[in-house]
Amino acid sequence: MSTAPLVEVKHLTRVFDVSKPWLNRLIEGEGRIHVQAVTDVSFTVGAGETLALVGESGSGKSTVARMVVGLLPPTSGTVVIAGVDMWAPAEAAERQKLRRRLQMIFQDPYASLNPRWRVDRIIADPIRAFGLAADRAEIEHRVGELLALVGLDPSDGRKYPHEFSGGQRQRICIARALSSNPEFLVCDEPTSALDVSVQAQILNLMRDLQDRMGLAYLLISHNLAVVRHMATRIGVMYLGRLVEVASPAALFAEPRHPYTRMLIDALPDLAMSGRPRKPIEGEIPNPISPPGGCAFHPRCPLAFAPCSAQVPPLREHGARSVACHAVEAGRI
Amino acid sequence: MSEPILSVRNLKVAFPGRRGTLVAVDDVSFDIAAGEVLGVVGESGAGKSLTGAAVIGLLEPPGRIVEGEVRLKGRRIDNLGGEEMRKVRGAHIGMVFQDPLTSLNPLYRVGDQLVETIRTHTSLSETAARERAIALLQEVGIQGARQRIGSYPHEFSGGMRQRVVLALALCAEPELLIADEPTTALDVSIQAQIIALLKRLCRERGTAVMLITHDMGVIAETADRVAVMYAGRIAEIGPVREVVQRPRHPYTKGLMGAIPTLAGTAPRLAQIAGTMPRLSAIPQGCAFHPRCQFAFDRCRMERPERMAAGASQAACWLLAETAPGSAA
Repeated sequence: MSTAPLVEVKHLTRVFDVSKPWLNRLIEGEGRIHVQAVTDVSFTVGAGETLALVGESGSGKSTVARMVVGLLPPTSGTVVIAGVDMWAPAEAAERQKLRRRLQMIFQDPYASLNPRWRVDRIIADPIRAFGLAADRAEIEHRVGELLALVGLDPSDGRKYPHEFSGGQRQRICIARALSSNPEFLVCDEPTSALDVSVQAQILNLMRDLQDRMGLAYLLISHNLAVVRHMATRIGVMYLGRLVEVASPAALFAEPRHPYTRMLIDALPDLAMSGRPRKPIEGEIPNPISPPGGCAFHPRCPLAFAPCSAQVPPLREHGARSVACHAVEAGRI
Repeated sequence: MSEPILSVRNLKVAFPGRRGTLVAVDDVSFDIAAGEVLGVVGESGAGKSLTGAAVIGLLEPPGRIVEGEVRLKGRRIDNLGGEEMRKVRGAHIGMVFQDPLTSLNPLYRVGDQLVETIRTHTSLSETAARERAIALLQEVGIQGARQRIGSYPHEFSGGMRQRVVLALALCAEPELLIADEPTTALDVSIQAQIIALLKRLCRERGTAVMLITHDMGVIAETADRVAVMYAGRIAEIGPVREVVQRPRHPYTKGLMGAIPTLAGTAPRLAQIAGTMPRLSAIPQGCAFHPRCQFAFDRCRMERPERMAAGASQAACWLLAETAPGSAA
């Protein structure tokens, strides 16, 4: 742990086949169609750290999350967690042990709890599955502990999910995720379905749990303010690639990549400082036929010749990494 | 500026049910002047969308207006019959909803939908209506409007669809535009474009806008005045700068503190304990009192009316305490 980070993702790539059924292809004379959802994404997450991935819809952030937890096989690239390769066939036994140390929280707390199970059974399920408790009394005790930990009453365990509000359900999801004593939580838009006041409760809870248990988070969000509040490092994604990785302070004080700049400029200004809001021109291109070179160049005010010819590599510039020809050429 | 475009007085919306009547909107009053954007903000279940639906006469039965009145340019519209109300809506009120696909018919070209709407509410000829449709599409920022007019809704992206819906809402030159979460389904970059567009159109045409959203950022960016709703009532209403920077109602204060900011380096967000009450169990007195850290006896017994607080108005007994005699 002293040297290797807890999670190491290297050159992760995922291609989806979105072709029509073969008969349609035959009749219409069309070939296969592929979407490059994630391209060459590499990052690390250390123990107790929060890495946040932000981006707009279609940027591939949720696909990364699903590959990291092992729900979706990557087309190429590796995910190594605590020294075990998530997708190497040889390490199946090791991986089984790894599952305990890694859990996921989803966006929709209404869809991620079994409506026919009582809450205590939902939370106890991972404990039973991994054989973490000796007998029923211990399981019951542990479930009570977990409910108290996430701010619910231990007696709530006898209720069904429909008896809870959205925020409380998300607390139940967190309790379930924590029941196997994980070290690493992947949170895919954990508060996007919640109202702001409830979002604040959940974000505070996630912070507290991190401080208390030294959890590492991979936080996926489209909300820059949430990410700013939670992350130790932020990765900005655009059309399947990481375009900038930096600390929140650095990223918001001085965004380097033109896309990051536009994203921050486009945010509603709650402080009402009178800062003019500059809408980003254009829209995210179709991932089926992305523009050549840097995918952002058609919308980029600083684009010059190399941008349309070559994909800029993610390079370190001081404490941050940026993938931009203009930054490399010293134009920004 | 003398007469407001929209004037809502003591609006009460109720849903009669087998187990008693649920009051979803209670004693809501506000005005919107020409060219003004009133933001209506609140969390789910606060009654903001129902207020909008009540204004345009589109409440889903069994919900209905049981008290109060809605006036459009001085004319009372809450007691109109279905057909009459349909005409008022068509000619004077435009609507934009969250999901642009629900407002567009997927089987018709957008041009035909625009032309049909224009011809229903004006006396333009087919050709003139088509020209007008193209002009509208250009106005909402759709490039190549002349070509795109023959496209179907599914051929547009989400942001472009919302622009089409906006054009559709503006067909009959309405005096009032009701926008219910118009940017919620969109990405931030697209959201900024739509908000800029909405602001520009409202300014240029002098349309009164009721902007319903849960996003305080959008409100701060767009609205002139804002009404904060809680459990079916307006908790606070005032100029947007005043409400955002100097909230008076404890709920508004909590709400503002709960929003993560970009500058914010505070390790914890302010949080309001508990959740909004269900409609079937709205507490006696001030509906917010069980979650309010400043609650005292009067809050538990009596329901506060809106009181002046600086440039705003807030429904909170604390204001009556600090300024004796100002209680309604």
